[in-house]
Amino acid sequence: MNKAINKKLKSKFYILLSMRKWPIEYIDWRLTTAYPKGWKFALLHPIILIKDLWRYLEWCQKIDEDIK
Amino acid sequence: MLSIKIKDITFNSPIIAASGTFGYGYEVKDMVDLNKIGCVITKSITLESREGNPQPRLHMSSSGMLNAIGLANVGVNKFCRDKLPKLDNLGTNVIISIAGSCIEEYINILKIIESSNGKHIGYEINISCPNVKKGGMEFGINSEITNKLTKALRLLTDRLLIVKLSPNVTSIEDIALAAESGGADMISAVNTFLGTAIDYKTGKFSLSSKFGGLSGPAIKPIALAKVNKIYKKVNIPIIGMGGVSSFQDVIEFIRLGSTLVQMGTLNYRDPSMICNFYDEIKLFIEESEFSSINELVGKFDE
Repeated sequence: MNKAINKKLKSKFYILLSMRKWPIEYIDWRLTTAYPKGWKFALLHPIILIKDLWRYLEWCQKIDEDIK
Repeated sequence: MLSIKIKDITFNSPIIAASGTFGYGYEVKDMVDLNKIGCVITKSITLESREGNPQPRLHMSSSGMLNAIGLANVGVNKFCRDKLPKLDNLGTNVIISIAGSCIEEYINILKIIESSNGKHIGYEINISCPNVKKGGMEFGINSEITNKLTKALRLLTDRLLIVKLSPNVTSIEDIALAAESGGADMISAVNTFLGTAIDYKTGKFSLSSKFGGLSGPAIKPIALAKVNKIYKKVNIPIIGMGGVSSFQDVIEFIRLGSTLVQMGTLNYRDPSMICNFYDEIKLFIEESEFSSINELVGKFDE
């Protein structure tokens, strides 16, 4: 059980790590896509941002499994 | 081997980045090898700037994604001033996606962009966005309006004119036919499927607009069927799309009638994935009896 949780967390970490290559302009566009005022909304609503980021990482894991 | 010529335009690769998944195009130039992409389609541009729908406007669903972004964009004037010059030397072809709420709006947008003398090769006319209250999909479900709009835009440009169709219709092939007779050079099919998501505990919709467009691997079989129906009816090239997530998917779309294939939702996972497909398709062609990707178009067992 713990092993499976660790594996999932680890894979989320690797996805996050791969996002470090994203240029600022691209991050800005992604935030504009997600929120009406883009990065301003993200700064003013950090909890929503963190929740959405978590959901996004989970979605990435599911999509990765689908692709496999 | 992988290059495709349509009219006088050469596409280095049959793979295209779908509108709304690669920003305006320049944001990704340092993340991907653009030589391995046939073309980038910009986010849809409207006459006025739009903030889009209120948050939440993205919902990650099983094997796909629901979006109700609502055509958020900077508007045509700011696009021509700030974004278009950055696309002139991008390193691959650029197609500009445009969207409007009435025929006059589409005409005005096209006129403004044409007057900017950009190096883009064409326009994708979005008549199929399911996430806006006015316009969008209203055009894409009506053959007569599709024909009228295409004819009006054809008069304004010699660049490629591509009409992007909605799958949310009974007979997509009739709409494709209307676009072809109106003068479209190509058909893009399909846009997202109308869908929704709800919280089973609270009864609250997951999207602020309640309904959105479903994309991703979940829709691939339906998209393939729609592309094949269009292929059997029209004589202009088709850009297939809908749930592409591997090089095999690209080949499937091509075999069923697509000349080019767009990749969308997967770009949200990792924009650099699109480049991997180029090498895999190249290897597939090298190992097959075909000498070029063109020979595969419409090669399915009757």
